[in-house]
Amino acid sequence: MTKRIFLMLAALLAFRVQAAYPERPITLIVPFAAGGPTDVVARIVGDNMSRTLGQQIVVENVTGAGGTTGTTRGAQATPDGYTIMMGHMGTHGAAPAVYPNLKYDPQKDFLPVGMAAGTPILIVARKNFAPKDLKEFVAFVKANSEKLNEAQAGVGSVSHTTCSLLNSLLGAKPTRVPYQGTGPALNDLVGGQVDYMCDQIVNLTPQIQAGSIKAYAIATEKRSPALPDVPTTKEGGLPEFQVSAWNAIFAPKGTSPEIVAKLNAALVKALDDETTRKRLLDLGADIPDKANRSPEALQRLVASEVVRWGKVLKVASATK
Amino acid sequence: MNDLFSNLALGFSTALTLPNLGLCLIGCMVGTLIGVLPGIGPIATITMLLPITFNFDPVGALIMLAGIYYGAQYGGSTTAILVNIPGEVTAIVTTLDGHQMARQGRAGVALGIAAIGSFFAGCVSTLVIAALAAPLVKLALLFGPAEYFALMVTGLAFAVVLARGSVPKAVAMILIGLLLSAVGTDLETGGERLTFGLTALTSGIDFAVLAMGVIGFAEVLNNLEAPEQRALAKAPIGRLLPGRDDLKASAAPILRGTLVGTALGILPGNGAVLGPYASYALEKKLAKDPRRFGRGAIEGVAGPESANNAGAQSSFIPLLTLGIPPNAVMALMVGAMTIHGIIPGPLVMTKNATLFWGMIASMWIGNLMLLVINLPLVGIWVKLLDVPYRLLYPAILVFSCIGIYSVNNSPSDVVLTAIFALVGYALIKLGFETAPLLLGFVLGRLMEENLRRALLIARGSFATLLQRPVAAGLLVVAVIVLLAAIIPAVRRGREEVFTE
Amino acid sequence: MSEPANASGGVVERRRAIRSSQNFVAGLTLLAVAAIALFATADLGEGRFYAVGPALLPRAVATLLALAGAGLVAGGLMKEGDMLTRWSLRGPLFVFIALVAFALSIRTVGLAVAGPTVALISGAASPETRPRELLLFALLVTALSIGLFRFILHLPIPILIIPRLLVL
Repeated sequence: MTKRIFLMLAALLAFRVQAAYPERPITLIVPFAAGGPTDVVARIVGDNMSRTLGQQIVVENVTGAGGTTGTTRGAQATPDGYTIMMGHMGTHGAAPAVYPNLKYDPQKDFLPVGMAAGTPILIVARKNFAPKDLKEFVAFVKANSEKLNEAQAGVGSVSHTTCSLLNSLLGAKPTRVPYQGTGPALNDLVGGQVDYMCDQIVNLTPQIQAGSIKAYAIATEKRSPALPDVPTTKEGGLPEFQVSAWNAIFAPKGTSPEIVAKLNAALVKALDDETTRKRLLDLGADIPDKANRSPEALQRLVASEVVRWGKVLKVASATK
Repeated sequence: MNDLFSNLALGFSTALTLPNLGLCLIGCMVGTLIGVLPGIGPIATITMLLPITFNFDPVGALIMLAGIYYGAQYGGSTTAILVNIPGEVTAIVTTLDGHQMARQGRAGVALGIAAIGSFFAGCVSTLVIAALAAPLVKLALLFGPAEYFALMVTGLAFAVVLARGSVPKAVAMILIGLLLSAVGTDLETGGERLTFGLTALTSGIDFAVLAMGVIGFAEVLNNLEAPEQRALAKAPIGRLLPGRDDLKASAAPILRGTLVGTALGILPGNGAVLGPYASYALEKKLAKDPRRFGRGAIEGVAGPESANNAGAQSSFIPLLTLGIPPNAVMALMVGAMTIHGIIPGPLVMTKNATLFWGMIASMWIGNLMLLVINLPLVGIWVKLLDVPYRLLYPAILVFSCIGIYSVNNSPSDVVLTAIFALVGYALIKLGFETAPLLLGFVLGRLMEENLRRALLIARGSFATLLQRPVAAGLLVVAVIVLLAAIIPAVRRGREEVFTE
Repeated sequence: MSEPANASGGVVERRRAIRSSQNFVAGLTLLAVAAIALFATADLGEGRFYAVGPALLPRAVATLLALAGAGLVAGGLMKEGDMLTRWSLRGPLFVFIALVAFALSIRTVGLAVAGPTVALISGAASPETRPRELLLFALLVTALSIGLFRFILHLPIPILIIPRLLVL
């Protein structure tokens, strides 16, 4: 009798194994704290993807060391499609230049699934900062940079890496004041303790709308519908400063191509969904156009980002 | 003033709808539950419940999540009192006298006074938010790195007051806490510090890991060794709820604790963690016989618990008015709001008036619910102490392991906790107290970071700390507190020398 | 928590070389911790000309700690105080093993195994343990915590993993 039950149980289990992917919840590692821009993008996109896939996508926040702790776990996960991760500009672009002992290779240890959404970068300053527009800002920072304080949200963070790019374009050497995340940095910018910073639009929109900080430019091709009054860096005369904090889904190396294709299809579908789009646009996020949603496009982006940040951050640390 | 009433009316009309009342109740119950479970905190729970709120309307979702947060503050004191495990940073202080009361058979009184104090504090602090949110926050913006550094130094001075026994030993524990807070990745350079090459340490030591090991598990080890000291289950359980004398003794501490907690909670730099310590130090200073503290003084529970809950509520002020989260839970609330398409910021108060006032009204209702939930529960919790210790401690270990694991979904955190349990046991054996260590740990990182920021901005001039009036004022307070704690100890020490 | 070990001590104990072994050992411990911290921060920078470097605070704290340790050692030699009490091995050892066993099994086999394992191994820490009662209780607590953490609180905790067969 027991033997029979055991056999039945085994048959049942065997059936489960052969069932089509996905047959149980998928873990999506987010290497940053819950509530941050990457986490919010992951949750919005993941919510729709889980409806397509018919299985819940569980977001697991694994924080630490500028996102590299969670990314390392993502690289080392069993490549069965049940653990995937949300990487971003820092973990899959700037990290090799920031962390010499990185335990993963953004290109070799991951299979790209697809781009989820990017959040544009803005140049902002305390509300009583003297320059009136981007041109004046550029001139002022070039002339006075050693007297200025720039806030950044920790080594390897988006605000740190993007402002390294800005500083290197301007040849500026401000004092870089580090904060534990964007919140406290923004707090001191609103309070006028520091002069300027760069960060993602999601974090900044409400403060800019309320006039508690000043926005000089947005580092994208087109103005953002969330902040129609803020000119682009191109309009403002600094076209070289083009940068967006992209967030994209990756699977560990060795995941089967069918699973990657299935995940990519669910992702693409989510990006076409009305509510998902609206939620992302409300954040001020960039939704990738059709050409940029494939795994191949993401592969190319990662390759170019690693090179780009490698150069910028080498210069930044040399001038430090 | 009329504005206030019309705003509150709007708030209550939002919060008193049936679905919102239901969500508030669910939030409070889940909060109480996770508060009672050792180790697991509101962060993990709110993170996991976020997806469920996707389909609610934003006001209801936020009312529920807020309920989890302050519900956990209520519940967190329960384990602190019953089994000496602080559920939250802010419950460390409650272990000092609350657990002693439990050992004396007064667990019910301690739990009751904690609930009543929290209720009062919650109500007052909600009113303060409603009336003064906007002007108060402008004041809070005066706080820059120098001021925060000074505030943290003041906090460390309070830690010395916490000491029951030897002051030099308490200072040594604060220093060890500071040292532990330095473990991890350095904020400014991104380099590793004191990690000994271990990956588990690169992002620093988690508070839950340290507190559970050094206080909670060490207490288990200590109890295992000395069964006769485990009087808690043996002592006859007296009154189940506070009597008139208890209420009389607690009234003033509750009032003072509420004021202190509300004031510190408004600061955007997570001042709320200091509330209970400040309140405890204050009560100990004001007491006729400070020696009762640490031995089951009811004021040592009433004051800090009120400060704790007042701070939990008033820390919504920087979030709702500035859009800047003062701590990790509030950062999560920002995420919850953004997911629902509301980006918190200075304009929330006017642009999303229903949300803002609805949440504030719900906090008041939630506090009432918590009191109603918690007072009858006191009887059940006290009954738990009847479970024989040989069964209670394995259960504590199982729940705590799960709680610790769930903080970062990391097994290595459990191993770290095990190591800290041994450390905590050794500290007890060597006659050290662990509460100052935890306070040093909590404040250490904030203190160092703010000092370094202040000096970066001032280009290395230490004078900046004294030139800024608020910072200088706080440093003076710190010196006074420190002297007040050390001078009697020194005098006592000298007397001992002379009598020899 | 310390017991007044020398409460019964008379004239004889007065003549000991170490007046308070508890403070003496406590001081030595602090000295050791300070030494480790100084050693571990040896290769970190103190700071640039106007900025405090990563090593400044740990080294300053370690130095103060060393002072406090030296003070306690001296005090332990000169001033009367508590003596060390007996250290037990059984409790710490089994609780430590139980916790490590949980860490090793939670992600590999899941909570359904890890839970009872902790309870049973830690049971060995107390002489009062009754094995059969504990086993039943351990299963009960585990079932309760699976319901609570996984189904009510929705935490991503693996419940039972049998390689290639089953993942819950």
